[in-house]
Amino acid sequence: MTGLLREIRFLSRDSAALLWLGIAVFIAVVSVFLGLREVSSQRTELNNLIAADYREREVEMGRYQDWGEVAYYTFHLTYAPPSDFAFAAQGQRDTSPWKHNIRALALEGQIYETDAENPDFALIGRLDFAFVANLLAPLLLILLLHDLRSAESAAGRYELLCATAARQGSPWLARAALRSSALALCLIGPLWAGGLLAGTDAASLALASLVVVSHIGFWWAVCALMERFGWSSPVNLTALVGAWLAFAVIVPAAIKVSVESIVPLPDGGEILFTQREAVNDAWDLPKDATMEPFIARHPEWADYTEVGQPFEWKWYYAFQQVGDQTVEPLSLAFREGRIRRDRFAGSLAWLSPPALAERALQALAGTDVAATLAYEQQVREFHTALRKYYYPRLFRDEPVSNASLEQRPQFRGTSE
Amino acid sequence: MMNSVFSIAREEWRLWLRSRLALSALLVFALLLTATSTLIALRMSAEHQQRTEQQALAEETFLSQPDRHPHRMVHYGHYVFRVPPPLSVVDPGVDAVTGQSIFLEGHRQNTAMFADAGASANIGSFEALNAALVYQLFVPLLLIAIGHGLIVREREENTLAPLLAQNVTGVMLCLGKWIALAGVTLVLLLPLFVMTAVAVARGESLLASAGLIGIYALYSLVWCSLILLVSALVRSRGLGLGILALFWLGAVLIVPRSAVETASSVMPAEGKLEADLRMQADLREVGDGHYAGAPEFMQLQANLLAQYDVERVEDLPVNFRGVVAEVNEADLTEVMNRYAEERMALEARQARFAESFGWLSPVVAVSAGSRALSGTDLATHHRFLREAEAVRFDFVQGLNRVHVEQLDYIIDINRSNDTASERRTRMSAENWNVLDEFNFQAAPATERLTRATPALTMLSAWFLLLTAGGIFVSRRIRP
Repeated sequence: MTGLLREIRFLSRDSAALLWLGIAVFIAVVSVFLGLREVSSQRTELNNLIAADYREREVEMGRYQDWGEVAYYTFHLTYAPPSDFAFAAQGQRDTSPWKHNIRALALEGQIYETDAENPDFALIGRLDFAFVANLLAPLLLILLLHDLRSAESAAGRYELLCATAARQGSPWLARAALRSSALALCLIGPLWAGGLLAGTDAASLALASLVVVSHIGFWWAVCALMERFGWSSPVNLTALVGAWLAFAVIVPAAIKVSVESIVPLPDGGEILFTQREAVNDAWDLPKDATMEPFIARHPEWADYTEVGQPFEWKWYYAFQQVGDQTVEPLSLAFREGRIRRDRFAGSLAWLSPPALAERALQALAGTDVAATLAYEQQVREFHTALRKYYYPRLFRDEPVSNASLEQRPQFRGTSE
Repeated sequence: MMNSVFSIAREEWRLWLRSRLALSALLVFALLLTATSTLIALRMSAEHQQRTEQQALAEETFLSQPDRHPHRMVHYGHYVFRVPPPLSVVDPGVDAVTGQSIFLEGHRQNTAMFADAGASANIGSFEALNAALVYQLFVPLLLIAIGHGLIVREREENTLAPLLAQNVTGVMLCLGKWIALAGVTLVLLLPLFVMTAVAVARGESLLASAGLIGIYALYSLVWCSLILLVSALVRSRGLGLGILALFWLGAVLIVPRSAVETASSVMPAEGKLEADLRMQADLREVGDGHYAGAPEFMQLQANLLAQYDVERVEDLPVNFRGVVAEVNEADLTEVMNRYAEERMALEARQARFAESFGWLSPVVAVSAGSRALSGTDLATHHRFLREAEAVRFDFVQGLNRVHVEQLDYIIDINRSNDTASERRTRMSAENWNVLDEFNFQAAPATERLTRATPALTMLSAWFLLLTAGGIFVSRRIRP
């Protein structure tokens, strides 16, 4: 206990160490603040969109006389609201869409639209908590720990410490432990404060803290290992920064390259191209060529397939559906490929603790690839519900009525 | 005097050649750079080939469409692809985060789709390494690792006093050490020479390539001067290393992201969906050109009837539905372009604002300049969007012309009576050659150099300031 008190006293007088810890706490607070602000601006934007979407629906109501036009002109907002913990890790929300305006036309032509921010910003990335904890914190820890012994010998206390300590290694162990925990506290403190403001559940916060602590523990171990070589502190520092580069930059880059070459994806452009061709060719094909594959999927409309006119809405929507059916194998492969890439990257991430911690925080924040794919799936299900709503009205040629419009499916976001 | 300066530099080199740390750091750097640049070069040339082929295929498919109603071709649409410029092997820039292809069709401006980033393996923040990033992040670290002791080492080893006593002034000593470190950067830049030479062989302009080498040389020299300055100021190697590490941490990791955060809060951008909803209201006022009888087009009809001095729409020498489509497309495009230009102007302002953080971090400056010179910056992406829009508008209006001049109005309005009537509205496929070939090129080298000027200015200011500081300190160097 006295040892610990003494170490705290030493730490409080070590201005360099206080500087590194100060930087850590400052950047962590800034990142949490920025994350909270980003989440709140996403929420505001969503609320505006939901209100605007509703107004748009009111304006369009009563404008159209047949269901074909209604379905053609009405857009439906779909979205994935940020989670209560999204402030800590922006993750995929930077580059992958979390809101779509869709309508009952072929979905494959719509679902890959992005509502991306300034590409320059996406390129550089956000200053979120995950970045601070996973990339900055290890460097700060390295700066805190690389010259424990040499700093003492420079200060002339090395001999004294070794003599007074019960065991040779213990003052260093206590000192390193104190500094590592201080750094962890500098990060976890702002995180919990942010969590309280955002109403994050304690379990997520506890798990996130566990991630942060384990990650810092890993870097402590690396520092301790390097110390065994007994190098001078500049060499020690250089070697540790080298280790940081290897674990935080080079290994992830190598993982990315290998995952992407081992798990190829169908070309996105090809999905759109095939879908467009299928939809457009339908205009020149006999109507049966569209209705047959359509009925194979929707046998319930088999009695309504007569298309007498050169243009009929039910045929139009049937070939939209057939367009989606045509690219289904490609689209599924694209989806499966992304899932496999993500799983594979997840297992290889064990080679790079910073990447592993980043993925863990993203998973807790609901901003990982799985969340993106889940949202995409929700959009697909909602689109199916839309079709289910319109088909009876189109095929039975029902009159448009407000009562019927009231029953139209509404998208409901889940995670809020 | 120069002799002793060079002998100081030579001495430093000899020391580094014997130092395992310096040599292994150099070796790691060389390996890393070779690996990343080879991988990127392979990927970018594969992308180049693939997108060029896709572009040709898209044009071929459009031209080989059968006889049709011209408006069907307006909706059939066309694809354009952004082919990466040769220097993207050094700096792929925004290529990975923006979509590379756009579907062009009537009445709509689609976004670029399928950005690589959307489907890549998610493995953390610094996932995509490329040659530019290796230079921006690793060169400073390498220079710090081998150069932080330049002066302070002499001080710690008590060799400074004898050196200064041997008729060597502080300025000469510092100049010699600086030349030694600058010599290392020259070696480090060799791979960049090779990469740009390959780009030049593939048709890149010499000026842009030289500019790219120049900006990285200047960037490296900024670090040389900084390292020398710190090394001359501090009393212990540990302290010097700590200061340099802190500076690197701030310049490489913290400032660029702070720039992004500040720019996006000072100049918030509206999301695309929100802007689209606002635009939708404006577009509604323009009207829907598919319905020539809509109230929005009554004035147009009256004007045409008066112009040709006829009573009925059927008597017009042109197809009224085609005229409506043509006029409507022009009006819609004006609205859509207004919104698109607003958005691009805001993005450009945001980028410029973020770039001004180059005054706080040379990394921000060099990365902006590098993207501009490589032709992979935001402005190039905007250029692609504008050129794609021009192609879109031209082929849609070309098809609308066919609709106006070649398709008879009576035949046109009866198109939905039966299959035979529909057949009569089909125009010859020869008309589809209204489509222009699309061949995307980055801006000319002089324009890119102009865009890189702010970055070059900031780096020069950094260099001059740090060097002046170095000269000032070196004059006062005491053992």
